[in-house]
Amino acid sequence: MTNILDDYALVSPLRYRNNWLKLTIITFGLLMGVSSQSFILPFTVAFCMSFATVHFGKIPVGFYLKLLSAPAVFVILSVIIIAFFFGSGTELFGFNVFSYRFGINTGGLDMALLVFSRTLSGMSCLFFLALTTPMVELFSVLKATKLPDSLIELSMMMYRYIFVFLEVAWGIRYAQTVRLGYKDWRTSLNSLAMLATTLFIRSWEQGEKIFISMSARCYDGRILFFEEKRPVRATELILTGTYFSAILVLWYLTNDISIF
Amino acid sequence: MMILETKGLKYSYQDGTQAIKGVDVKIKKGKKIAFVGKNGSGKSTLFMLLNGTLKPKEGAVYFHGKPMEYDAKSLREVRKSVGIVFQNSDDQIFAPTVYQDVGFGPTNLGYSKEEVEEKVEQTLEYIGITEFKDKPPHHLSGGQKKRVAIAGVCSMEPEIMILDEPLANLDPVGADEILDLLNELNHNGTTLIISTHDVELAYSWADYVYFMTEGNVIGEGLPEDVFRDADLLRKSYLRQPRTLEIYSELERRNLAIRNRFPTSVPELVNSFKPPELMWIEVSADVKEGDIINLGVMHGEYAISSPYEAVNAKVLHIHPDGHAIAEMTRHGIKSGGIVIYDTDRYDEASFRKVVAEEDIDNIGAMGKKSKTLAENNLIDLQITSGVIDKSILMALCGKRSLIMTSGGMVEHAVKRIDGYAENSGIAIQLSLANIERDELDL
Repeated sequence: MTNILDDYALVSPLRYRNNWLKLTIITFGLLMGVSSQSFILPFTVAFCMSFATVHFGKIPVGFYLKLLSAPAVFVILSVIIIAFFFGSGTELFGFNVFSYRFGINTGGLDMALLVFSRTLSGMSCLFFLALTTPMVELFSVLKATKLPDSLIELSMMMYRYIFVFLEVAWGIRYAQTVRLGYKDWRTSLNSLAMLATTLFIRSWEQGEKIFISMSARCYDGRILFFEEKRPVRATELILTGTYFSAILVLWYLTNDISIF
Repeated sequence: MMILETKGLKYSYQDGTQAIKGVDVKIKKGKKIAFVGKNGSGKSTLFMLLNGTLKPKEGAVYFHGKPMEYDAKSLREVRKSVGIVFQNSDDQIFAPTVYQDVGFGPTNLGYSKEEVEEKVEQTLEYIGITEFKDKPPHHLSGGQKKRVAIAGVCSMEPEIMILDEPLANLDPVGADEILDLLNELNHNGTTLIISTHDVELAYSWADYVYFMTEGNVIGEGLPEDVFRDADLLRKSYLRQPRTLEIYSELERRNLAIRNRFPTSVPELVNSFKPPELMWIEVSADVKEGDIINLGVMHGEYAISSPYEAVNAKVLHIHPDGHAIAEMTRHGIKSGGIVIYDTDRYDEASFRKVVAEEDIDNIGAMGKKSKTLAENNLIDLQITSGVIDKSILMALCGKRSLIMTSGGMVEHAVKRIDGYAENSGIAIQLSLANIERDELDL
């Protein structure tokens, strides 16, 4: 089976840190990254969050870079387009296609760089959350947000059975593959349809089974929430405070710096 | 006293299939009951009737002598006392973490938050799964999931625990651990009902067995009685347990003592008749009818332990010095078993016991003791079927130490004492760090 982000988060040492502290750090990083007019600050935030994820969160560097590279293609494409089509100023580079002029000018390049840095900072913040805070921990955060209990309970069960059905789906797909169920486009489509149907029926049956097993344990609409008390430690508070003030100072100093 | 009883129980599904066709069972408190039958014989349906999930079309289920009611309040009472562990753990464990799943039952019983927490911690500790309390179930192995499923029911402290195929899809060591756990639960007073098509399990584990086929109970009784009944086994589409089969073949060839019903390998070994006749080489001056002492026998004559063959009477001599002798044997070194209670573990005393008692093999029973051994770098030679193997070792003159805790100590003492009593072979049993008077025997 493939590893998913949640699996890394479950074994990360940062999982056992205060959830609210982590959420505050991320929100702060996101807001600062977006509000900065200079590319320096978002890059700094991105670097800090990546460092925290890899160093404190013990996420393998190779895996982290691979993860970042997944949306990179998309980001780089959009950055190139922005560089060519936006902004004004002196032209730095250009060429003609059928007497139409394509060129990058200073304003466009600045904007492209800013967009790139903001995207990177946003991504690293969200990856920090995804790689250090498993769903299991987020449920208690959701609980504290006063969302309706039934909604959270439903999402808890959905979370649990995603993995059960994932395994079933892998099993079926493998069974189909070894009998050449994906040899060409037509058979693939047919096999996929069968897989989907079976999964639907299975999930329906599973629902009935869970209901029976829950009522066998006297279900009356209450589920225990997983709440570990994790006080914020002094060192964490100092580190976060230093980080916040450093970023704020940097924001003040660099807000109007750009290359051109 | 009957804790659960059914009279003329009938149930059919909505499509008209009759799943249960008039079943009468009587479950005694504190017993280990096995329902045996091939797949689709109605065991699972019967179990759902027993805890009130299904309502019978005819007949009734009696709990503590009172007929079961099907209103919400009475059902709650029944389900609190009759816990059910499903065959597929994934059908049962629905919460995102182990902790939440184990806490599900107590929460619904209306305990306060603190009580629930205490109950859950206690149960996790008891079942030996504290280490994965904040893991999601999809990170657990089959055996671990089964433990979690049992813990989820255990935390409600039911009087009766029903387990549908508890050892299905488990590896041998995982199955052994679950079996240890079930024995401990039973020892602490929980009545256990299991379904299985594993005849070995039903034969060696259960106190009482019901045979089911196509929604009917076609036979019931003590395991040693019902599993002899070849006709009944054939009708239930089952075969005889291996130990019993080997025993019957030995008995038929007059190699085993009659009318024994060995349920384990030590008991099977004990039913062997000692070889009375043996081919030996004699010197020229020995005549037929002489009594000679063959001395201590080693090697091929006594593979696992030396013994002394005394008073061998020479019955017949071939011309080439090949003779047949009749003799009796005495073991010259008797082994023993030491039981160590790991609830009172301390390293110095443990090492002292191992050294002083001249221990050859160390075994651990129960998850807790195994974990303790692992954490203290104790090398375990026996990890499954610990009591049986220790008895076998003792019969071969070896000394074993069993590390165990809680109710399992008493269980082990009882098994070994029972073996000694039935076989007449005195196995030297000593308790390392606990007094016999402290045990509830």
